[in-house]
Amino acid sequence: MSAFAIEHRAALSGKIPLISTSVTLQALPEGHVLHVLSANAGDDLSGKIRAAFGAETLAVRFVSPGQWFVVGDEPISAAAHAKIVQKLKPHADVIDQSQGRVRIAIAGAKAASVLAKGTAVDLALNAFPVGHATTTLIGHIATHITRISEDRFELMVLRGFAESLWDELAELSAEYS
Amino acid sequence: MASLIPCPHCGQRPKEEFTVKGAALARPAADASREAWFDHVYLRENPRGRYDEHWHHTSGCRRWLVVTRDTATHEIAGARDTAARTETAK
Ligand SMILES: [Zn+2]
Repeated sequence: MSAFAIEHRAALSGKIPLISTSVTLQALPEGHVLHVLSANAGDDLSGKIRAAFGAETLAVRFVSPGQWFVVGDEPISAAAHAKIVQKLKPHADVIDQSQGRVRIAIAGAKAASVLAKGTAVDLALNAFPVGHATTTLIGHIATHITRISEDRFELMVLRGFAESLWDELAELSAEYS
Repeated sequence: MASLIPCPHCGQRPKEEFTVKGAALARPAADASREAWFDHVYLRENPRGRYDEHWHHTSGCRRWLVVTRDTATHEIAGARDTAARTETAK
């Protein structure tokens, strides 16, 4: 623990949610983002991770072979974090990325159409079902995308890119608002 | 978008998401001759046709892949994770 309390400022605190009938854009609370890494890329640890966190299915998101993100709206205390690290120690390491990555929700009938203008990933429901997660480029920004429901996605980017991504999404959404 | 690379972890992705490192060559043994290492590090063929290259899925899964590409037609024959490949020195 740091000897000094650090004042937390949300990267997108100045952004007012964009709401229209067909697409909404909203910055999500900067709760927690934990990066789980296994030395064995072949292992599927998602079940063990969910158990260790007591997390719901959509909170544990595939990143890459042997890697997952665990996200949530509430901050995780140092004590709770230590407990999780301990539980997963035999299988994987846990890196706290809560201050490093920012989440944005995009939802609505045109959410997939907005994203499709920025990425080459196939967002059709059969190719990208609910719960599926992947990293791709939106424009020039590497973004982790998770489908939360048929017409709702969560995007996660490195903190320094959050504003740029927001502005880009706002522009891509403009024709539907 | 042009050239799509079939990442074994992410599916079809445009080449813009990747970093190309160059020819995927068998590495000489650690105690191979100076000439063998010089050749490996500095000298490259410039083949026409099928070619194995290291591609890094930088803006995706961040795994190293070996992509088999035709240098004349840019046709991609396949891509596999580098970890799935066992290199053998000539
Ligand atoms: Zn990939």
